[in-house]
Amino acid sequence: MIVIDKVTLEQGDFELNAVDFQLGKGEYGVLMGRSGCGKTTILEAVCGLRHVTSGRILLGDLEVTDLPPAERGVGYVPQDRALFPSMIVREQLAFALVLRKLPQDEISERINELAELLGIKDLLDRDPGKLSGGEAQRVALGRALAHRPSVLCLDEPLSALDEELHEEMCGLIERVHQETGVTILHVTHSPSEAKRLAGCHFLMVDGKVERMEG
Amino acid sequence: MSEKKATAFQVGSDKPFLIGLGVLGGSYLLIILLMLLADLVFLDYGDKPVVGPELVKHGKYVDENAEGVPIAVEPGRNYQFRKGENESGLKQDDRTITKNGLFEARSGKVVLIPSQKNKPITASLRPEVRITNISIEKDLVTLQTDAPHGLIWGTFIRVTGADQSGWNGVHEITDTSAQQLSFTLPPDSKPTNQLNLSIPNPLIQALRSEDIQFSIKLSLISCTLTTLFSLWVAVPIGYLMSRFEFRGKPFIDTLLDIPIVLPPLVIGLSLLILFRYAPDWLSERVVYQWPAVVLAQFMVACAFAVRTMRVTFDQIPQRFEQVALTLGCSRRQAFWKVIMPQAKGGLLAAGTLAWARALGEFGPILVFAGTTRQKTEVLPTSAYLELQAGRTEGMLAVSLIMIAAAALVFIVARTLGMKRIFA
Repeated sequence: MIVIDKVTLEQGDFELNAVDFQLGKGEYGVLMGRSGCGKTTILEAVCGLRHVTSGRILLGDLEVTDLPPAERGVGYVPQDRALFPSMIVREQLAFALVLRKLPQDEISERINELAELLGIKDLLDRDPGKLSGGEAQRVALGRALAHRPSVLCLDEPLSALDEELHEEMCGLIERVHQETGVTILHVTHSPSEAKRLAGCHFLMVDGKVERMEG
Repeated sequence: MSEKKATAFQVGSDKPFLIGLGVLGGSYLLIILLMLLADLVFLDYGDKPVVGPELVKHGKYVDENAEGVPIAVEPGRNYQFRKGENESGLKQDDRTITKNGLFEARSGKVVLIPSQKNKPITASLRPEVRITNISIEKDLVTLQTDAPHGLIWGTFIRVTGADQSGWNGVHEITDTSAQQLSFTLPPDSKPTNQLNLSIPNPLIQALRSEDIQFSIKLSLISCTLTTLFSLWVAVPIGYLMSRFEFRGKPFIDTLLDIPIVLPPLVIGLSLLILFRYAPDWLSERVVYQWPAVVLAQFMVACAFAVRTMRVTFDQIPQRFEQVALTLGCSRRQAFWKVIMPQAKGGLLAAGTLAWARALGEFGPILVFAGTTRQKTEVLPTSAYLELQAGRTEGMLAVSLIMIAAAALVFIVARTLGMKRIFA
């Protein structure tokens, strides 16, 4: 569950005032809006990467407004994916688990599970620089899911993909959603993409988020 | 006409632009290469003979009718001839010698041939010094020569052609007078009756000299210390300046550039004055001691390292840290696990830059650490002291050592960098 309660954000000249919206547990939320309207800023606030001036953010039963990003239990896939250049795919997937000091066999088990789910078994020993756009997207998803977050934040996950891959990735994200039951907040500027994806749709206009029915 | 002009608009040729780029860039590269090459070529790597006093009185007038300037020489003796501005060569019997260097006199006279008559002669003709007596007493060898040899104490001499072990090789001259010089041999060396002397090239002279050995050592150690300190400071400052916004940041930014903009000499002086206010126990240990060398190098080199690290961190998107934070990193963990591995190349570049900068630092060291031999003498100081003593060749030799050191560090850094890229 994501609750954003009268959140106010400031970032230079840009300001979002008293943003309100709610997404139920296990729901797939698509947040739409024009470029530069503040969608990504909201996503970053959920992840704890932006300081909130006032208001509250709740993830599940937990108020996370003042928690560091590490303790929020979120998975974040930025628009540029930001795969760590110094690590092979396997290390990227293991990153969150190693930080949590899980035993080695549990880590490998989880990596195999993720690789199976995302179809990246053959890529585990590759350098991130040698991945195609779709492959990199899968790895970024896997990295964000590794520590079983309650909320997955996707920032324009499909924008850099060609049409064919686009369809494939939509299918994959939906499967991930079904199999893991994670709450997903998906930000996009494209209405057609939003239409393609099931779930609750939100539209952001003039700093307000409205739930779209139907 | 089947082919029509595609458009009426035509763009000018790119050639002049590209050639211009090539010529401007190329000429600079050429100067760099030629400069290095000139250093390497200029140094005389061969040994020089030990020669006596000058036989040609400079400025001597040449009789218009004479063939040249006759000089009396000793038959059978070697002479060193060096052309001046007005000589085409030197004539002995029927042979004409035009090359600089040693030749053996056949008769009692040689004639210097001027290229223009009625102009002063500026050539040089000097006899090679012969050894008249070799004595050894408690491993101390004393050689008598038949002419003043002009060698000075503390320089090195090469002995060849001796028939006893321990004699041949390079020796440091421990004592001299006009026609006598001494050096020591390993214990229990047997006397020899014959030997030849020559002066080894300036590079050997420099590498053998204890002063310069000390200065090489001090340079290598101080530069390495400076580099480590610089990186230690540059990494946090660079990261801070790259990632955080705070009040007074532009002011601090300017402050960080001061050592780059300020003349290095002024930095040395400022340090010297600053340490006048320091407690005695501290300034006694720093000023005009080796720590002053490191501090002077550090003040300048660190500024360059900071710049480099700042640019390095600026080029690493903040996104990486943000993702790492959501995955469970603290800021410290994100820095060490995600950012530093990506900053390796920049770290290497900053280190190399700081090292090279420190190696060449002279002005602030001169002012703040002094130029005491065996104490605060680094390689640039050595070069300066050689120049002061009028030994251009010695200075060049020291410069070559510096070039070699810089090249070595550069190659090592590049190789490490390459590994990182190709691994």
